[in-house]
Amino acid sequence: MDAYIEPLKALAPELLLTAAALGALVLDLLMRGRDSRFVGYFTLVSLAIVAIILMNRIGDEPTAAFGMVVVDNFGTFFKLFTVASLAVVTIFVLSDRNESHHHIGEYYFLLLGAAIGIFFMVSTNHLLLLMLGLELLSLASYALAGFHKGERKSAEAAMKYVVFGGLSAGVMLYGISLLYGLTGTLDLVEMAKSTGEAMPAGLAGQLTTSAVPVALAMVLVLAGFAYKMSVVPFHFWTPDVYEGAPTPVTTFLAVASKAAGVAALLRFLGALFLGPDVQSVVAEYGASVGQLLAILAAVTMTLGNLSAMRQTSLKRLLAYSSIAHAGYILIGVATMTGAGFEAAMFYMAAYYFMNLGAFGFVLYFEGTLGSDSIEALKGYGFKAPLISIAMVTFLVSLTGLPPTIGFYGKYLLFKEGLDAGMYWLVGVAALNSVVSLFYYFRIAKMLFLKEPASGSVPRQPLFAGLLAVLCVLTIYFGLLPDAIQEFVRNCLLI
Amino acid sequence: MEHILSWITFIPLIGMTAIICLPKQSVGLIKRVSLVATGIPLILATWLYFQFDPQSVAGGGFAFEEHIPWIKGISANYSVGVDGISLPLIWLTCILLFLGVPASFGIKKSEKAYYALLLLLEVGILGVFISLDYFLFYVFWEIMLLPMYFLIGIWGGPRREYAAIKFFLYTLAGSVLMLIAIISLRLGTGTFSIPEMVNMAQAGLVVGPEFIGLDYSTWVFWFLFVGFAIKIPVFPFHTWLPDAHVQAPTPISVILAGILLKLGGYGLMRGCFPIMPVAFQENAYALGILGVISIVYGSFVALGQTDFKRMVAYSSVSHMGYVLLGTGALTVWGTDGAAMQMFAHGTSSAAMFMVVGVIYDRAHHRDLNGFGGLCQPMPIYWGLTTICFFAALGLPTMSGFIAEALTLLGAFQAGDPRFQVLVLISVIGIVITAAFLLWAIQRVFFGSLNEKYKDYPDMTPREIFCMAPLLFLCLLFGVFPHILLDVMEPSVQHLVTLLSVGK
Repeated sequence: MDAYIEPLKALAPELLLTAAALGALVLDLLMRGRDSRFVGYFTLVSLAIVAIILMNRIGDEPTAAFGMVVVDNFGTFFKLFTVASLAVVTIFVLSDRNESHHHIGEYYFLLLGAAIGIFFMVSTNHLLLLMLGLELLSLASYALAGFHKGERKSAEAAMKYVVFGGLSAGVMLYGISLLYGLTGTLDLVEMAKSTGEAMPAGLAGQLTTSAVPVALAMVLVLAGFAYKMSVVPFHFWTPDVYEGAPTPVTTFLAVASKAAGVAALLRFLGALFLGPDVQSVVAEYGASVGQLLAILAAVTMTLGNLSAMRQTSLKRLLAYSSIAHAGYILIGVATMTGAGFEAAMFYMAAYYFMNLGAFGFVLYFEGTLGSDSIEALKGYGFKAPLISIAMVTFLVSLTGLPPTIGFYGKYLLFKEGLDAGMYWLVGVAALNSVVSLFYYFRIAKMLFLKEPASGSVPRQPLFAGLLAVLCVLTIYFGLLPDAIQEFVRNCLLI
Repeated sequence: MEHILSWITFIPLIGMTAIICLPKQSVGLIKRVSLVATGIPLILATWLYFQFDPQSVAGGGFAFEEHIPWIKGISANYSVGVDGISLPLIWLTCILLFLGVPASFGIKKSEKAYYALLLLLEVGILGVFISLDYFLFYVFWEIMLLPMYFLIGIWGGPRREYAAIKFFLYTLAGSVLMLIAIISLRLGTGTFSIPEMVNMAQAGLVVGPEFIGLDYSTWVFWFLFVGFAIKIPVFPFHTWLPDAHVQAPTPISVILAGILLKLGGYGLMRGCFPIMPVAFQENAYALGILGVISIVYGSFVALGQTDFKRMVAYSSVSHMGYVLLGTGALTVWGTDGAAMQMFAHGTSSAAMFMVVGVIYDRAHHRDLNGFGGLCQPMPIYWGLTTICFFAALGLPTMSGFIAEALTLLGAFQAGDPRFQVLVLISVIGIVITAAFLLWAIQRVFFGSLNEKYKDYPDMTPREIFCMAPLLFLCLLFGVFPHILLDVMEPSVQHLVTLLSVGK
């Protein structure tokens, strides 16, 4: 018996989430199409319970369950990240003025389902389970993107997402199958440490023969992560899906789903190239993967920022900005050092505050004005000063200026980049910051530098309060980032 | 008094918080709070100025230091302190921000936000002057940008949006170069402390990798230099300045010209030259050339302006060129002159922008050719303007004269014939400056009086109150320059010693 009970304990958060997802579905059924907000509150409570369990696990020794699942601090960090983003997204759904009657119980079910996918994605060294988690997340995301099935844009977004998602999942799966064929195992740790003489041969065995097939497999697998993170050239879906999907879903995709991609990438690279028992030939190969990632980083941030400059829709602008930020995060990943990964994780934490805030603002303003065009923002700052000031704070943070957490995150990334000798990459990133100022402050300009049009804005005090809290935290952790940095360091993979 | 520097810096922040909590209808109260929140730092700074013993920092070191650990993860500290170079600038900041409040009473749009941003700006500026930790320095340096963007962008002239974002983009472009250099210095020296970096530089321990084909000291030097030079602004980085000045409301132009430009010069003396002394020596002549180009070019362009404010803006480019020329010469006199010029220009250019503001409030245009004969309806205005312009063109008995004379003497004294040539060329700038200022006086005050302007009221007591103290300081330091120089001298001498390492 114990052989089953112990691993199940390790999986408690996942099991709870599954129960919550099913509970949400049943609850919605019992409500018989009445206001589904109750389901939302239920979701929040279950998320809180999961969060408490996760918090208690920080600092525990890593354990394994059922041979495939690894429960460690790194995974716990991203699970907490997911739960925290999901909680905010749930509040967004509850405050969404587009959902006038809130007959939307399945919304919460899908969100929780996506979270289960993320939970498995971030807690395994086994490529098969990784793929399964990724697919679960994707399936839920497709349905969420098309949630407003009556709306053309939403339906189109879902369609595009499915096509792109299917393609990249196929590509990634092919890469995984190649890796399996070349190395004889799907377990990343095994793959990295096998000497190449016995079976499984591991990467070392293959690399000593020829690096070409490994390179091919590596590129194909990375494509899957790049798609989730919206890294160029797998970013094409991002602007359309972000624009078409309901704003809370966009928020989920931009924050939680992207973080899951980052987590899986870090885990993949970390287990494969930076682990304790990695063969030296494999570790050396990691450096060249880092070079590839550095190039991707430069291209991604540049393309994201340049495209964002010409957008007229706020959601599209933020979509391109999130592409650019994927590029910044890749700086930390490309260093292929523990400190670089730490910087990338810290930046994810920073990304959490500023992007949830920015998308929350979009939702607020979309709900009050019925449009997400930047032009419509004219003079909004004088009508809704509190959330507009909060938005400017998020924009400052996104640009990477002090005294916000975005600055500190960028500082860490730049520092690790320079420390790893990638001066050119940091130079490109610095120039990109300047470019990004231009479009981020187009929003600030519309908010405060233009005369307001007549008419008042309906108030949502609770929602505005949430944005204000995010704004205060953006500045607070910008001035005193030690707490988060410490936390990240404790959850580090290597 | 403990933590006096922190009090000076953060009292405006307390004032800002208070203003945010006030209802926006109680404009009178908001103005009073702003006066108090800028007045107390002024009193404290004045006290500090006379409390400061210049000899205590003669061999390096700082006075009124505070050190508190801040971000442990990267060992950045809250380290602050002053020496003879920063203290006069802190005092100047407090003076100008205090005068900036009554100068802003004419503003009638969103007063609450305006005064809150003004106070935030003061926090940023003072923070830069007191920082001894490069991370802290950078944080304050950037905090300044945001209020400035909105102050120009919301309360500025017709092309304010363009001017505001141009200012922001230029400065940020410089800042990111600075950031790369600062991080690289942190990696190279293992500390953010500016004094420690300077000490290591003296021992030749600041080393690091090449970048874009330049050796470490050269590229770090130029990255930092460009970051600060944009702020000064040095030719060819000056193009944001005329736009920002022309569009900014009068009090903001006053602060921009009076203090923000000094931050560039100060930054070079604190955070660039002494950390990279060898690269400084190698490039000193290039700096001198840039300084002279700014002096001459700025004055010629000013001569060609018909917009009153644009003319004054270009005169700033010209006057700030002396700072580079004086420091580049690497003599005590030259550096004294540069430090003094920052203060002198801070008062005279601030007063000049007030002059422009006074007439703009009445005529609602700034076309120099559109005025004429104003000495009849506005005699007080005429008198103060004349004093102010004489201060700007460096008439003896004015602080500008002492500063420019010291700079040029210092540059000549350097003994380098190339610098002597530069001094000769820069004299052209002095002549042209005199020409455009006198010509402006002639066009505005003499000639036939335009009927439209016949009934203009003379300066109000509020306007006189804003301008007179600045002119008084110009005169005071012109006649008794040692009040200022005694405070600066030991620190300047130490700076020159630092910069002359190995020479």
